[in-house]
Amino acid sequence: MRVTVKLFATFRDGRFKVEEKNLSEDSRVLDVLQLLNILPEEVAICLVNGRDVKEQHLLNDGDTIALFPPVGGG
Amino acid sequence: MTIEGRYVRNKKTLTDEDQHKLANSCVAIVGCGGLGGYIAEELARIGVGRLVLIDGDRLEVSNLNRQIMATELNIGQWKVEAARDRLRSVNSEVKVEIIKEWFKEEKGPEMFREVDLVFDALDSLATRVELERVCHRLKLPLVFASIAGWFGQIGVSLPGDFSVSRLFGNGERGVESTWGNPAFTPAVLASLSVAEGVKLLAGRMPALRRAWLQVDLLTMEFERFEINNT
Repeated sequence: MRVTVKLFATFRDGRFKVEEKNLSEDSRVLDVLQLLNILPEEVAICLVNGRDVKEQHLLNDGDTIALFPPVGGG
Repeated sequence: MTIEGRYVRNKKTLTDEDQHKLANSCVAIVGCGGLGGYIAEELARIGVGRLVLIDGDRLEVSNLNRQIMATELNIGQWKVEAARDRLRSVNSEVKVEIIKEWFKEEKGPEMFREVDLVFDALDSLATRVELERVCHRLKLPLVFASIAGWFGQIGVSLPGDFSVSRLFGNGERGVESTWGNPAFTPAVLASLSVAEGVKLLAGRMPALRRAWLQVDLLTMEFERFEINNT
C-alpha cells in the first residue's frame, strides 16, 4: 500500500518534508517510524488523516501521516 | 504617566470600546524569558491595564541573544524585575505585578486571583500541562506558545479544550534542548500569541481554538492543524 508521510520542524532535518512510501499490508505507524529512524519517544504528535493516533495505529492504503517532534521552549 | 494620543495608532484595529476593555484587563504571563518578555512588551504597548509576570529565574549571558528584557547591564537581575523596569519606561500607565517564583499547580489560584487571561510562555512540557489544568479549573482562557530553533507552535485553550495536554503531554523536554532558540522565533510566536490574546480580551473569537498553528521560519510555512477530541 501507499501512504503519504509529512514531517514537521526538526524531523525534516536530513530527511524530507513530504514523501510517498510503499509499505507492506498491515503496517503500523511504528513501521514508518522505524523506516525513518525516528524513535517513538521522539514523537510528540502523530496525526493520521488529521486524527491523533498512537504508534500502534494500523495504516490503510492512501493514509496521510504527519509527525511532529516536541517543541517546548519559551 | 497619561499621555494624550498614546493609543492613536491602535485605531481602527481596536475600537475605543476594545481599548477600554484592554485597560480594564489583567493578564498573567507565566514564564518571562524569550516568549514572555516579548508578550509583556506588546501587551504593555497595546494598553493592557494590569500585568502579572511570573518567573523564578535570573537573567544570564545566554539570554542576550533573544530575550528583550535582557541587556548587558542587568545580567544577574530577576527576570521579572528587569521586565518591570523596562515596562515602566514603555508605558507607566500599566500596573505590573511581579512574582519571583516558578509556577506550580497549587499556587495557581493565588497567582491568578484577579486575572482574566493567561499566557503560557513556559519552557517545560510538564509544567505547560499543569498550567492548562489550573486555567481550566479557574475557568480562565489560555494562549500557549512554544519555540525551538526555526520552529514554533501556538494555539488557544479554553476551559474543557485540553489542547496543551494533547500537544505537550508526551516527554520532558522538546527539541529546543539541541536546536536552541534564536532571536526571531520568540518574537514571531509572542506576536502571534498577543494577537490571539487581544481578541480574547476584546470579547472576540480567537482563530486558533481547538487547533494549533505550526510555524516553520526556515521554509516560511504557517500551517493550521485541528485538535480533535477523540
